[in-house]
Amino acid sequence: MSDSRRNFLETLGALTVGAAAAVAAGAKSVSAASPAIPPQPRHRWAMVVDVAKCIGCQACTVSCIHENSVPEDSFRTIVSTYEVEEGGRAAMVMLPRLCNHCANAPCIPVCPVGATWQQPDGIVVVDGNKCVGCAYCVQACPYDARFINATTQKADKCTFCAHRVEAGLLPACVESCVGGARIFGDLNDPESMVSKLVSKGDAKVLKPELGTQPHVFYLGLDERLTGKVDGEQTLWKPLAKETH
Amino acid sequence: MSVIEVVNVSREVTWLPWAVQYFFLIGISVACFFMSLPYYLGRAQDSASLARTALIAAVVCGVVAPVALLADLHQPGRFWRFYTNPNLSSWMAWGAFFIPGYLVGLLVYAWAALKPDLAVAGQSGGPLARWHAIISLGDSPAPVVLKASAVFTVLMGFLILLYTGMEVMVVRARPLWNTPLLPLQFAATAFVGAAGLVMVLDRFMGNRDVGTVRAASQWLLWSLVATIVFGSLWYATGLSGLVRTHAEALASVAQLSSWKLTALWLAASVLLPLVLLWIVPSQHTWLGGVLALHAAWMFRWTVFIGGQSLPKTGAGEYAYHLPLGHDGLLGIAGTAGLWIATLIIVTPLIPSRSPKPAIGPTFVPAA
Repeated sequence: MSDSRRNFLETLGALTVGAAAAVAAGAKSVSAASPAIPPQPRHRWAMVVDVAKCIGCQACTVSCIHENSVPEDSFRTIVSTYEVEEGGRAAMVMLPRLCNHCANAPCIPVCPVGATWQQPDGIVVVDGNKCVGCAYCVQACPYDARFINATTQKADKCTFCAHRVEAGLLPACVESCVGGARIFGDLNDPESMVSKLVSKGDAKVLKPELGTQPHVFYLGLDERLTGKVDGEQTLWKPLAKETH
Repeated sequence: MSVIEVVNVSREVTWLPWAVQYFFLIGISVACFFMSLPYYLGRAQDSASLARTALIAAVVCGVVAPVALLADLHQPGRFWRFYTNPNLSSWMAWGAFFIPGYLVGLLVYAWAALKPDLAVAGQSGGPLARWHAIISLGDSPAPVVLKASAVFTVLMGFLILLYTGMEVMVVRARPLWNTPLLPLQFAATAFVGAAGLVMVLDRFMGNRDVGTVRAASQWLLWSLVATIVFGSLWYATGLSGLVRTHAEALASVAQLSSWKLTALWLAASVLLPLVLLWIVPSQHTWLGGVLALHAAWMFRWTVFIGGQSLPKTGAGEYAYHLPLGHDGLLGIAGTAGLWIATLIIVTPLIPSRSPKPAIGPTFVPAA
């Protein structure tokens, strides 16, 4: 069993026991509770990506597509792959990308009909019944993590597989990660693996200067890849001269 | 360190050419409305023909613009959710209220401005006399309605210019959009397009009125000057680093050769009408009007489609090829066709003689 799964199940178990104990204790001490302290959400889901463990196999990409019926040519997650050359040495760098479930998500306030919001557990979701497909949230996301679903013509994005998490399962991309590079868990639980990794202080987030407070953290990521990558594109460039 | 991007995703443009058409038409509509005000509020007796042409353009563009916007929702019936679930932290949500407000104000203003002429045409015995008599709702002018609707529409027009600019400007994720000068640039180029449209309409609707051309040339001249000033300011503050957002916007495109060509094209499309105003005789000034329309449209195309071709995280730029279907060329042609059809429908309903102001000094038609 991977660290991520073990940690996730341990967290769920501890929370279940903890919640039962809290209910029992709460029945005795309701009157003693301080009204000034707002109730803390039970979970704050987050992901830590250890880029050194990612082998760029795209199993996460494929499993996400299957799990969430993502239409052809669209992606909720993908592993961006870069060839980085420095000091005469070249290396492949993998950078799994997905919705960052930001605490200060810029996609939420721009939605004209309030169809996208953040759940108490931190997961940013889209209500397909409300969404008008205006794509304002797609524009506002600094991580290119949203798109218009070609089938529904509405905004689509990673939900940390909220339906699986509710059922006590890991997100599909975490479940399928061959190298165990994706670690999912509860930041509100100090004993969780993600809490421990994030609290070490060396985890980076993408575009920190925007103040979006992403909740996807990266271990071992080169600072120069946290923003818009300044590099040579080898994607579809039909008019480009052959240089390689 | 050198980086080669081996695998990444190419995100599609999601604000389609429909959005370009909407921003183009609504901007021109508001600008044309403002251009009609000096005459209909009775302070510029020498611009009667310009005001009438501008008013027709404002109404036609104003009616067609929201259709393009609805088309961008993929399923137009979704629009009602803007009113049942408004999220007022979004500029787009506010826009959903400003658009109908502006349109209602504009239509009432147009009716009040043309009411005296409608009444006269209603008694003329022409083929549309009965129609003119009905919609004039009586013989007397309606100066109070005219003034009140003008004030209301001025307010809504400003709000339209404000929201269309802010809606794009607040998107921090796109450095090219997130610049404080963008709303002013949208407004200035809207007036460029409006003046150009009035010139072209004056030519092709058979008026060929010297006064209209002269007045429209003045509007075009000053709006071009404003566009150049804002553009120069944008470039200078970006290049010098005085304004961080402008510097980031400039940096996002400075290394891309296609954008250097676009910048030259944009500069030429603004400077050429200015040159034509200078050297071309007044009967051919409408050619400058065509170029002005092109400049206004090109600016919006560059901002919207060009802006979305810049990846937020990846390297280089996304390739965009204009689709031939409704999400591309057909959408652009369809909007243009709807615009022409609306013009054909609206024009005969408006009396052909020069309008008489409902308020202010008595208007004496030019000989």
